[in-house]
Amino acid sequence: MPANRPNQGNFDEMLGRALRRHSEPVPADFTERMLRQARELDEKRIVSRVIWQGRLALAGTILLGVAAIVGVVALPGRIGAILSSIGMDFTERGGALLDRFHQAAGAVRNEWQLYAVLAVLLAFAVFCLLDLLVGDRLKMA
Amino acid sequence: MVDGMWEQHGEDNRLRLLCSGDHEAFTWFVDKYKETVFLCCRRLGLREDEVEDVASETFMAAYKGLSRYSGRSELSTWLWSIAYRKGIDCLRRNRRERQLEDEQENEIAAGREDGPTVVTEGKETEQVVWEAVERLPRLWKVAVILHYREEKAIADIAKIMDTRENTVKTYLFRGRQKLREMLSEVSGEDCNAGK
Repeated sequence: MPANRPNQGNFDEMLGRALRRHSEPVPADFTERMLRQARELDEKRIVSRVIWQGRLALAGTILLGVAAIVGVVALPGRIGAILSSIGMDFTERGGALLDRFHQAAGAVRNEWQLYAVLAVLLAFAVFCLLDLLVGDRLKMA
Repeated sequence: MVDGMWEQHGEDNRLRLLCSGDHEAFTWFVDKYKETVFLCCRRLGLREDEVEDVASETFMAAYKGLSRYSGRSELSTWLWSIAYRKGIDCLRRNRRERQLEDEQENEIAAGREDGPTVVTEGKETEQVVWEAVERLPRLWKVAVILHYREEKAIADIAKIMDTRENTVKTYLFRGRQKLREMLSEVSGEDCNAGK
């Protein structure tokens, strides 16, 4: 390699200096065009995100509806009993708040599988709703 | 010292803003590196209409990928590698890549026919050197510019050009030797001194 040859330093220095002094012509409005393209890209990203949020919310709503129908068709007795017990709670024992909590806890303990599925569906529905309403603002912040 | 610290702080801050998609930081980024990207595209031998397209593609690819930029290599090295890859892709799209190696040989041969020295009368050293560099085969040219102008290390050049370090050393050695021949008048050296 030429590393130890005489005059190498001078030649390299001259070469480096001359190359560094060169300025490459660039179209005058290039930066503005790039900025415009970047903004367009961001807009496309936001639109595509909103579209996906809409699809997710729609899917969530459909799923929740289907789950409710399946629940009523497959387990009519259980659903009926739960609803009537809740109704009775409101009408007959509407007084003592603490008692209601105890009873609700008991009902959840007895039917925890059903309540777990309902809780998940409810949480998903709430998430879809919040995402649809304020998701964008949260992500932008 | 203090100025340097502030400069570094400002640079880090800008980089952070840039990675988070800030438009002002992106403007700074384009302004700072546009010349470099155009330089890379033109030296690869792209046509003028392709140069602008590839430069735009490079900056847009960088904008999309900035959130994933790890900072392991310098920002300029990272951008150079994108520009180089895009430039080579463009050449491939136009089926010119197969000619790369052949062209190297042809260009060297053409250089020999024109004589070892470039015309220096009435020209600035910079202009003469640049003309000589332009006459090098494109891969040598890119390696020489990266090493002497951008002051990149061999390892970084190898990363940018997606090749082995020994190949880069060969490009630089041969490019330098050829330049030495062509620029013997300017450097005041004997043509054979570097051989």
